[in-house]
Amino acid sequence: MMQGGFKRKNKAASEIPSSSLADMAFLLLIFFMVSTVFPKEKPKKLDWPEADATKKLDEARKDILHVFIEEDGAIYINDMPVPPAQVNAVIQPIHTENPQLVIVLRADREVAYQHVANVMTELQEARTVRLTFYTSLEQRVQRERR
Amino acid sequence: MAVFRKKQRSGGEIPTSSMADIAFLLLVFFLVTTVFDEEKGLRIVLPEQSEEVEVSQKNVYHFLIQPDGTVVVRMGEAQNESVIGAQQVGALWAQGFETNENLIAAVKTHPQAPYRFMIDVLDQLQGAGAVRISLQVLEN
Repeated sequence: MMQGGFKRKNKAASEIPSSSLADMAFLLLIFFMVSTVFPKEKPKKLDWPEADATKKLDEARKDILHVFIEEDGAIYINDMPVPPAQVNAVIQPIHTENPQLVIVLRADREVAYQHVANVMTELQEARTVRLTFYTSLEQRVQRERR
Repeated sequence: MAVFRKKQRSGGEIPTSSMADIAFLLLVFFLVTTVFDEEKGLRIVLPEQSEEVEVSQKNVYHFLIQPDGTVVVRMGEAQNESVIGAQQVGALWAQGFETNENLIAAVKTHPQAPYRFMIDVLDQLQGAGAVRISLQVLEN
């Protein structure tokens, strides 16, 4: 026990040094300002069709390939525009590499069915038969399930 | 003359003891609010290209989707057609399936019909438990 009654003052600094914080923040700010590239083209908005029977897909991400169809019928695979007749040629090598491939067809709800049917025919030619029509759950059902 | 120099003693630091709290608060906030885009949809398996199966007409339930979203329904060889809305397809299918378990749904969509009408019908069929569904383009 301490005698004499001199209390030791706790003088250890209880704060994290932060004088350089502002420097770091500005450095990051400037880094992002310099490195940011704004996309020139605007992403097109796609509206998915709604369906009550929407089910979650349990496939691994690596087995999933997205095929986008825009309202005007333009097809995109892996962010690359693909002419309708080339879909088969693009998908076939991917399918050969991964026979477990599942195609998730993300088509705009207003696209003419002809475009969707064309893609399905191309998929059949590429022998990729596992297909999912991407849909969102209907708002009404979504509320009920919550 | 005696010169007293003033010692500079003002603290040059921003208080940061609560920084960790703020950081964790933000971390927890984003952990809670983040929603991952999950894969979902209506699953089907396309037939193999060479695979052509002859089916008896009496086992085929035709759903002809028109460009305006109405569905023309025809059962097998019967000539009478009826026009219904997409929302009634499920009930109608369930009724037909009760009487004939080998029933196949042939969904024929007009090439100019919006895709969502086909999805509406497919949704109804899958909701009613239909497994054997054929998707085709409606030919005039």
